Amino acid sequence: MKPKVAFFDFTSCEGCQLNKLNLENDLLDILKHVDIVEFREAMDDRADLYDVAFIEGSISTPACVERIHDIRRRAKILVAIGSCAVNGGVNAMKNLHPIDEVRETVYGDDKYLFATLPAMAISSVVKVDYVVRGCPMTQQDFLRLLISLVLGKQPPKYRTPVCVECKLRESECLYNRGMVCLGPITRGGCDAICPSFGQFCTGCRGLMDNPNLEGMSEIMTNHGISLEEAQKRMLLYNSNEVKL
Amino acid sequence: MKRIQDVSEEEIKDLYYPTMCKVTKARQITSMEKWYELEMPASQDLGHGPGQFVEVSAFGIGEAPISISSSPSQKGSFELCIRQVGTLTNVLKNYGEGDSIGIRGPFGTGYPMESLLGKDILIIAGGIGLVPLRSLIHYVLDKREEFGRLIILYGAKNPSELLFKEELSDWEARDDVELHLTVDQADDTWTGNTGVITTLIPELDLNLNMTIAAITGPPIMYKFVIMSLKSKQLQDDHIYVSLERRMKCGVGKCGHCQINGVYCCQDGPVFNYSDIKPLREAL
Amino acid sequence: MECYSLLRTDVPDLIDHLGAYGEIVAPHSKGDVSYSFEVVQDSNKVVLDYDRTLLPLKKMFLPPQEKLMDFSLKSLSYTPIKLHIKPRVFFAIHSYEMQSILRLDHSMLSGQAESNYLRRRKKSRFIGISFKPDEFHFSESVGIPIEEMEGFDLYLNEVDGDYQLYVLTKNGHSLIEGFEKIKTAEPEIAEDRKFNKKIRFHYNRLPQVFQYAYHSEIWAEVASRCVGCGSCTLTCPTCFCFDVKDEVTVTAESGMRQRSWDSCMLSTFAEIAGGENFREKTINRTRHRLYRKFKYITDEEGLPWCVGCGRCTAFCPAEISLPDILNDLINEDEKAQHHHQVMA
Repeated sequence: MKPKVAFFDFTSCEGCQLNKLNLENDLLDILKHVDIVEFREAMDDRADLYDVAFIEGSISTPACVERIHDIRRRAKILVAIGSCAVNGGVNAMKNLHPIDEVRETVYGDDKYLFATLPAMAISSVVKVDYVVRGCPMTQQDFLRLLISLVLGKQPPKYRTPVCVECKLRESECLYNRGMVCLGPITRGGCDAICPSFGQFCTGCRGLMDNPNLEGMSEIMTNHGISLEEAQKRMLLYNSNEVKL
Repeated sequence: MKRIQDVSEEEIKDLYYPTMCKVTKARQITSMEKWYELEMPASQDLGHGPGQFVEVSAFGIGEAPISISSSPSQKGSFELCIRQVGTLTNVLKNYGEGDSIGIRGPFGTGYPMESLLGKDILIIAGGIGLVPLRSLIHYVLDKREEFGRLIILYGAKNPSELLFKEELSDWEARDDVELHLTVDQADDTWTGNTGVITTLIPELDLNLNMTIAAITGPPIMYKFVIMSLKSKQLQDDHIYVSLERRMKCGVGKCGHCQINGVYCCQDGPVFNYSDIKPLREAL
Repeated sequence: MECYSLLRTDVPDLIDHLGAYGEIVAPHSKGDVSYSFEVVQDSNKVVLDYDRTLLPLKKMFLPPQEKLMDFSLKSLSYTPIKLHIKPRVFFAIHSYEMQSILRLDHSMLSGQAESNYLRRRKKSRFIGISFKPDEFHFSESVGIPIEEMEGFDLYLNEVDGDYQLYVLTKNGHSLIEGFEKIKTAEPEIAEDRKFNKKIRFHYNRLPQVFQYAYHSEIWAEVASRCVGCGSCTLTCPTCFCFDVKDEVTVTAESGMRQRSWDSCMLSTFAEIAGGENFREKTINRTRHRLYRKFKYITDEEGLPWCVGCGRCTAFCPAEISLPDILNDLINEDEKAQHHHQVMA
């Protein structure tokens, strides 16, 4: 029997899920390996137990907490997809401000009607087995994970920085063009797509293990931006990881 | 310096293509380790020496360096014992009799068997370190009269992690093998020594000029074992260690197994202690 | 050694003439301010005045990514990759780059020779060109002057804007046979080229400095600035480390084994399956990298395994300068020596 796979979304733009529907060429091959039993963006079916639950989005309300526990109980393997789910992503920028201030800004006078929590990674609430990083997650990366699960092997963990893939492509280094880029401390696996097309890396795949943040700040300030701006850049996708 | 003119295109062979070998027997021997007997195509011999390793390959997963655990005196087949700790080894646990596994090698420098002839062999194995040393032990047992004493010190975390238990009792029963076992943590069934492996060393009665020690174990073990052997006055060049590094290509090219200036996959994995003593990153 | 004069404007014709031998690889512009070695499609696009390419010429012999085999998961079998290498001419190559290839030859052919490297390397012709050192080149300090011609078949020395063409080998001679836009000339020396960056000691004294530098505090200072991106080693022309990975297609029925350049500066490099990491800290890795360049291989081969191209410095986002580290180590060594004398 093919494994039952389901997709769920929490606080997010749902762009990662959309990205999967765009896998047109590979969709039929994927369906040879798995049965998709729940996918709000594409179908109505529901199931009670899942072999693999893919979770998009971060946890940001008490209701989210309850729902993710429920999914975890029914899933053998739980995979966080996209940076919101993996580490809170851009949503976590709100955690840099007092929660009451955030509520006030967003909901104004109605703030008491909406319960809110700091934006959290799925892994800060339930056990996450695997992650697919990026904003949005790339199709390539998602397929690699899926195939790894089908073959019963560990999916790749991407423990080398974006710079490695950028160099292998022989892309011009953005620092040599007078830009600042987070490639050196950001987890690779994206084939350095942004810097290779002249767009600096914003860190959407999360930080490397033990990143040298002081060194990175120094690099950026030496390349003409203020310390404040440098820190903002690092916080954009990684507010829950960067401790300044 | 090696120059391009010195090498002709005809004389070289491809380095990265595995030979497909059949699994003839396989058995999960502990919760972590599986043992395999493999056969080369046309029952050729692997042609290894004790202490050498192979690159084991599973398509779609990759390769990993694995010590050969059988003696070269065993003809027509060879054996591996694989601990399930990485991506590849966790997939290999699903392989069994009749399956094919890719093998490259044998690679590396093993024990200098010629110069060990006539010597007392002191085996010191910690945990999975018994696997490569088993090749040496079997070699000595198969040519028993060519060597002096065979002393085996073997330690594991707990009794359930002891490998090759049947062979251990065989060795125990032989009067030409001196086997000393120990475990870090005993359980109810255990009646033997308890403590780290170095606790077995002080009591040994060694003939210093005749004794060659061969040590393999987790990285942390070497310093302490060597210290104990030194306090027994054993000379540096009578000590061999087998080191573990990330030997990815096996042929001295990929760079992952460098220890200071040497390649573990070429100059090792078996090193004479006096040779690597000056290397700061070896032990 | 024959010497001819060649007008700058006639260089594209020379390139076209060389095309008779095979594919031509030469420096081209890349992006806004960079260069890369590419196969020549249009000889007018070849750049003669360049500081350095992003990736070294090594990429033509040991590609950044290379498929080693196709495999089938259904039949558990593999198909080797057959290489079809055309004869190639490498044009407008700087002396340090050529020296890096000679060092790579040693690294790749020692012990068991690397077959794909050798196949790509044979039938290669090299045509050198002089260059104006910028703030990063320091090859003279590692024994490689601008006009070092070892390894080249032909060499173009710029004098007053045009070139003098030196014919250095029989192969070089046959490459230019029939090319008529050159005239016999007397060799001249260009005076306007100087290295700005220098190592304070002769390179043969560096192994001695490294002998006592292992516990220097300089490594910690370098490590505090290094963010571990690997750019230094990935752009280094004498580095050759690689990793091998399997990729499976979405059908989960077939795939390929591929190798790609790796770097000892990456935290994962010396980690083994059990989790033990033999160079876990940045300081271990920055030190290992420089010892590989100036001590370990140098002790055996008598040459630094660095050719002074300046890439590691020019492409380091943290602007960590290799010659500056060397000079700091030298200063420290000198101070220590002086201290000993006073004590005595």
